[in-house]
Amino acid sequence: MAWTNELLDQLTGQLPCGYHMSGPPGAEPTALAALALAAGDRTVDAQRAIDWIASQQAADGSVGPMPGQATPGWPTSLAVLAAQFVYSRNSAAKHAFDLTRAINWICQTKGESLPRNDITAHDTTIVAWPWVADTHSWIEPTSQSILALKAIGRAADARAQEGARMIIDRLLPSGGCNYGNTFVMGQELRPHLQPTALAMLALSGQPDATGTISKSLDYLSRELSPSTASASLSYGLMALAAYGRAPRDWMGWLENAYRRTVKREPAPYRLALIALAALGDTGPLALAAKNTKSTSL
Amino acid sequence: MDRRALLVGSGVALAGLVGYPIVRRALALRSAAFVARGQRYDGPIEQTIRDGLLATGFQPERIAGKRVLLKPNLVEPTRKSPQMTTHPAMVVAAANVFRRWGASVIVGEGPGHVRDTEMALAESNMQAALDDAGLDFADLNYEDVSWVANAGGASKLPGFWFPRSVVEADLIVSMPKLKTHHWVGFTASMKNLYGTIPGIKYGWPKNVLHYAGIPETVLDINASLPKAISIIDGIVCMEGDGPILGTAKQMGLVIVGCNPTAVDATVARIMGLAPERVSYLQLAANRLGPVDEGLIAQRGETWRSVASPFRIIDNPSLQALRAQSGTLFS
Repeated sequence: MAWTNELLDQLTGQLPCGYHMSGPPGAEPTALAALALAAGDRTVDAQRAIDWIASQQAADGSVGPMPGQATPGWPTSLAVLAAQFVYSRNSAAKHAFDLTRAINWICQTKGESLPRNDITAHDTTIVAWPWVADTHSWIEPTSQSILALKAIGRAADARAQEGARMIIDRLLPSGGCNYGNTFVMGQELRPHLQPTALAMLALSGQPDATGTISKSLDYLSRELSPSTASASLSYGLMALAAYGRAPRDWMGWLENAYRRTVKREPAPYRLALIALAALGDTGPLALAAKNTKSTSL
Repeated sequence: MDRRALLVGSGVALAGLVGYPIVRRALALRSAAFVARGQRYDGPIEQTIRDGLLATGFQPERIAGKRVLLKPNLVEPTRKSPQMTTHPAMVVAAANVFRRWGASVIVGEGPGHVRDTEMALAESNMQAALDDAGLDFADLNYEDVSWVANAGGASKLPGFWFPRSVVEADLIVSMPKLKTHHWVGFTASMKNLYGTIPGIKYGWPKNVLHYAGIPETVLDINASLPKAISIIDGIVCMEGDGPILGTAKQMGLVIVGCNPTAVDATVARIMGLAPERVSYLQLAANRLGPVDEGLIAQRGETWRSVASPFRIIDNPSLQALRAQSGTLFS
């Protein structure tokens, strides 16, 4: 499609990518761009993006959020997703990014567990992934880490399974989730689109014993609309596509989001997400979500 | 249970603050709070803000040609709960005041609970207002960052990574929504500056701060950003289970001042809370500014004339913040 090609051209022109046009490059937007470019057969550009991420990789395998900021290492999972996908599409590529060390870093990174309490309702003892070292586990870094493990064929790892248990525990009874709290002082909090979508991608293939996965997908279906902001819309559509529940005119919604984004600010982070969502259930995040097999790296 | 680890700090570290020079300077210079009643979002709030700033000692000539960052509260916007976030009309009115005084104005926020800033701006109706007013927005969660040493010393954190727009601003205007807060009692000017901390370094939520103690880090962030003043949206407020799930409370107030501690102590009294019992005000008292009523010059309306106790959730630690009726209205 013409607009998706145009979008990829814009991404290519902004490598390494930032969250905003005027901001610094970031590991997360560049990893998302690498995924989109590789899926769009822009092999050389995708490789260029991965090489930049590799240049940001620390000796322990982690990747910080932007140049000069080696910590926190939460973007490492996205770097793994991108590098694994790019390298799988181009076997001749030089593997500048050290996947093994990055995966080891992910597996050694643990959120702080806490004793159960009567203030928050979630199980604070489950160990998953934090945004920042020495803090609690939260939805998005956990979802991203599970997706990375799924992508490399380690969906059955104990860490991935405990991470999935943490996410299920943090789903709201009425469906969806937010950054990672459910009830505080007896009050049920509100769900948000982006963390719900990432959680659904991570949980693809998990049994829905309590029905909250189904309710969460219902929440996404109900709340997503053509006017939803680009990042939330893109993640939401990726999640629904992974479960075969994309709305009828989802591609039209994305094209509108693309036009809006370009008109206001062609921010590469948002463009990359739109490009990934436009791949539907064959996009790299949807494929990672559905990869529940366990194989060796 | 380690409440600090989840969201609430428990310990109080006072050592090292007494006698801090920047604090003494702030104390000496700024100790007035201006309260305007009968305010509406479609009313002349620009004039009210201007009057309030002048009444509390703001010197317009010193801001000409300088950079002003307006920092509203957009923690987790949703159209279902407009009482959660700073009203766009307040932000535009404040921007007009500073622009007319010759300053360059931008609006910036790092939403604490949501990563999708575009959605936060849309749900709060802020984007449309900024567009109409020709105001640029700084996404504080994702900017370049600079290290600033912790000038407070209440928490264990040696310093903070602040976004470029925060560090480069000549003046930061904390523009909170006046709300109850289920961890610390209430949130206004001082707690609002949590939104100057970038999520890309501290997470969503900014859990690093919670682990270091909320009251302590509120103090430390404010001490490390001494160039901040307050303009509070107290027109439609939030009571009950704030800062997210509370209900609307019509107050019709705009509160302004050049010392956030003095302003927050004043709004606590208006809400029916005893500011000397609020943990971060305890830390800030006589260090970042005055909490004692006798040290805060009242401009505009007196706080007693507009006081209307906010409902707070039935939790002993929060109920303990209530001013005794004799104290509140005597």
